[in-house]
Amino acid sequence: MTVRAHLIALGIVALTLTALALGYHNAFILNLVFAGLIFAVLGQSWNWISGYAGQISFGHALFFGCGAYASALFAARHGSPWLALPAGAAVAAILALLVGFPCFALRGHYFSIATIAVAAIAEIAATNLAALGKANGFEMPILAPGIATLQFSDKGHYVLVALALFVFAQLATLGLERSRLGFYLRAIRLNQEAAASVGVDARAAKLTTYAACGALAALAGSLYAQQALYVGPEDTLGLPISIAIALVGVVGGLSTVWGPALGALVYVALARYGGALLGGQGHGLDLLLYGGLILVIVSWRPDGLAGIGRSIRRALERREARAAP
Amino acid sequence: MDVGPLPQLVVSGILTGLLFALISVGLTLIFGVMDVVNFAHGEFLMLAMYATFGATLIGINPILAVPVVAIVMFFLGAVVYRVLIRRLLAGPPSAVVFGTFGLLVFLQGAAQYLFTSDYRSIPNLPFQGTLHFGAVNLGEAQLVAGLGALLMTALVFAFVEYTEPGRALRALSEDRVAAQLMGIDVQGMNALAFGLGIACVGAAGALLMLTYQAYPRIGTEFALTAFVVVALGGFGSVQGALVGALLVGLVEVLGGFYISPALKMIPVYLLYLLVVLVRPQGLLGRR
Amino acid sequence: MKKRLALGTTFALVLALVGGSATPLQADPPEVVIGSILPLTGGLATTGRGLKLAQELARDLINGHISYPVTMVGGYGLPHLGHARLKIVFADSQGNPDQAKTVAEQLITQDHVVALLGCYASAQTATASQVAERYGIPFLNPDSSFPNLTERGFKWFFRQTPHDGTFSANLFQFLSDITKQKNAKVRRVALVSENTLFGTGAADAEEAEAKKYSYDLALRMPYAANASEVQSEVQKVKAANADVIFQASYLNDALLFMKTYKQQRLNVQGILAQDAGFIDPNFVKNLGKDADYVLTRDVFSLNIKHRNKGVPLINELFKQRSGGNNLDGNTARDFTAVTVIADAIDRAGSTKPAAIAKALRETKIDGKRTIVPWRGIKFDEKGQNTLGNGIIEQIQGGAYETVWPFDVATKPAIWPMPAWDKR
Repeated sequence: MTVRAHLIALGIVALTLTALALGYHNAFILNLVFAGLIFAVLGQSWNWISGYAGQISFGHALFFGCGAYASALFAARHGSPWLALPAGAAVAAILALLVGFPCFALRGHYFSIATIAVAAIAEIAATNLAALGKANGFEMPILAPGIATLQFSDKGHYVLVALALFVFAQLATLGLERSRLGFYLRAIRLNQEAAASVGVDARAAKLTTYAACGALAALAGSLYAQQALYVGPEDTLGLPISIAIALVGVVGGLSTVWGPALGALVYVALARYGGALLGGQGHGLDLLLYGGLILVIVSWRPDGLAGIGRSIRRALERREARAAP
Repeated sequence: MDVGPLPQLVVSGILTGLLFALISVGLTLIFGVMDVVNFAHGEFLMLAMYATFGATLIGINPILAVPVVAIVMFFLGAVVYRVLIRRLLAGPPSAVVFGTFGLLVFLQGAAQYLFTSDYRSIPNLPFQGTLHFGAVNLGEAQLVAGLGALLMTALVFAFVEYTEPGRALRALSEDRVAAQLMGIDVQGMNALAFGLGIACVGAAGALLMLTYQAYPRIGTEFALTAFVVVALGGFGSVQGALVGALLVGLVEVLGGFYISPALKMIPVYLLYLLVVLVRPQGLLGRR
Repeated sequence: MKKRLALGTTFALVLALVGGSATPLQADPPEVVIGSILPLTGGLATTGRGLKLAQELARDLINGHISYPVTMVGGYGLPHLGHARLKIVFADSQGNPDQAKTVAEQLITQDHVVALLGCYASAQTATASQVAERYGIPFLNPDSSFPNLTERGFKWFFRQTPHDGTFSANLFQFLSDITKQKNAKVRRVALVSENTLFGTGAADAEEAEAKKYSYDLALRMPYAANASEVQSEVQKVKAANADVIFQASYLNDALLFMKTYKQQRLNVQGILAQDAGFIDPNFVKNLGKDADYVLTRDVFSLNIKHRNKGVPLINELFKQRSGGNNLDGNTARDFTAVTVIADAIDRAGSTKPAAIAKALRETKIDGKRTIVPWRGIKFDEKGQNTLGNGIIEQIQGGAYETVWPFDVATKPAIWPMPAWDKR
């Protein structure tokens, strides 16, 4: 896709969702849309480090949790959420550097397990530290709704805020793909030794990316907390959250601009909506279907939904080529 | 000198470690040959526990059930390889990770659907007593499971090192292309390795039924520890899994006692991080 | 047992003939829809499924016309609303506070429920009730015992169960009574609790009580409920050299602890548990005779003196649906909650949330008209039921026998519990 095509697609998505947020007042559906956008951003953040930079992380909840806890801690001290956003992002970026600096020496699965270990340590710490609310977490006070408090009575407004972050993430990804850094990352992914031999500093490139994606995930975490108004260790730092984020990134297609958004759509439609629809029976039918669908997608197209989109486009192009004289 | 509960803690740590070894051997075997991290490993453990429960329902002795379940699980593993894993291996590396994760969700859902979320344990189990050595208490069931772990590790090690198919597996894990050129049937060997790995976890599940209950989520309780154990020991190294498991067991029990039970997993994760930062290939892994 | 069942059936039939005069008024009576949020999948799924069955049973009995001596049961729906049928829409919290909140919103905005029940685990009750508060929908909590829930100044939140403060007071009162009775000496107590909301709340309350009774606090040990083994935990308890263990655990960890206590020959005078895992039907089923002598607080018992005559019958019906599981403290509370909310809606004579909340505030149900052994149900200004109280049971021969308060006890308590090698 050309940049122009990407921008047009992004414009269409943004306009549609804005119309939905302002015109449609079904709180349940708007909640799902909000969750979808948050996960699209988280998936995109994961895609930067695990897709473009090729370092599969299973500990992304660490950064998500940073943002969420920042919001909760600021709210508990009557601080503005507008300060919590950059604070959470900064802490996440610093954490990313601290974790990434030693861990980028690890290859493949050793790195993945290390990310799990770090996130798990954070979860255990949050569960047991009084300053982080222990297992109870924080119930955030309900404030007068408005842009200043980042709390809204209308679900549509939450969708708008999340949409803004999503648009930012998409634009940033487009920028990354076309930047020097993006070029370096691709080179490293293909062959780290070869990249190093032409003077690409692999560790610096990965660290920059990791810090950026930590900050982005933290922003998503802050917005999530503003909407959930409850932050607890299991729900923000737990391994299931990390896996859900990674799944969103992969189901849609790694190292693609739209993959995470597609993955988030599938995740929300199946795991959340399907769970709400079928989970009431308690038979595990929702898990069965969700797991089954992942299996179908992955075994049919190991490169994810975006891969399917690519094949369709190629098929269309071939037909056009044939139709042309 | 009064060492207090230290001897007991060390013994408990070793037995706990052996339990982890039991679960980890199959995982590292699959990784060694195929470079596949099987995220659904815990779910196969869960299936094996239900299978053992079912076997005792039809009158099979729980100890006899160990080889029976292992054989059944071997074939299940081979089938799963043929139907699913083979396709995943054709895709990018991430496909395997998420394919096996999809399998995890699917199997857990299936277990909840078919068996409900009730806890199942075998009535009138053997080995429920405790042996006493001075101040040290040893659960018989733990001891049996521990011996089982040692025996299984030894068997797998002997198989990989000293038998013809084992050598082929090793050749495959060292250099896939060369092995292919030498005429090794890669698909067949992969199916064998995956089947063996699942058979190991099958035996583990059967032995675990001596002390634990089967329920749909039991696999997830152990899987994470198994991953850390295998990575700590070095992916693909059978001896590494044993050493890693013993270390994790000891650190978990000693750390739990001397620091705080609520924090007992922190020293385990720190140990992993520390080891791989010094030795990025794990304790006994190859570069 | 057979005889008692036959008697009970006759009793029900007589009641049906005398009191069940209600006849279908219309072909298609209106429905009143309430929502119920339960952990139907995830780690608490076993419990959640049981709670759902209990609520469904209560719903069917309320909508039926066979009378039992229980509030609202057998009224052929809600009499003051033209015998409208009570309908419960169930939603799955997946044992997750965020999901609990999402489905609460769904139930309110999509299914237009007039009231909510839920959510068993305190953390989920906290978030879901926040949504109800914002929308102005009455929220009746049957079974969450974290004390703080009724301290949030909510106007739409009602809790039917006694909370951990009351329960812990009961446990220590029992300990004081039994040691006096048996002339036993108890000095050192150990508090063992899982480290999430439930365990922390329980341990806080226990610590306060221990101070009040001036026992020595030998150990306060929080632990992670998702542990795969509890070796170091049990060694810590052993090293504390306590006379009595107070324990707050979910099912999986409760089983692990009991097995490890036995294996490590940890002998104390008594293990006093905070229900949860210790009253789950799976507890005795999986431990067999090793479950014996454990004492637990409960909110319900099949084996209790002066109980409601309808209990054995309702229990038989429940067993048919649950595959043989008896009613327990959790399921009995959830059964009761459905009758309490039905009573409020019926008295309100309206499906307006405000009217239902007002009716809930005026609830006055005599303990004799419930299946739980409480003095009754009456909410204070914080929404807390003030007439609830706990009982203490002891597992004896695989059955939960009430041993305290002494006047409703079916068996005397066995104290101290026999050592593991003397059983």
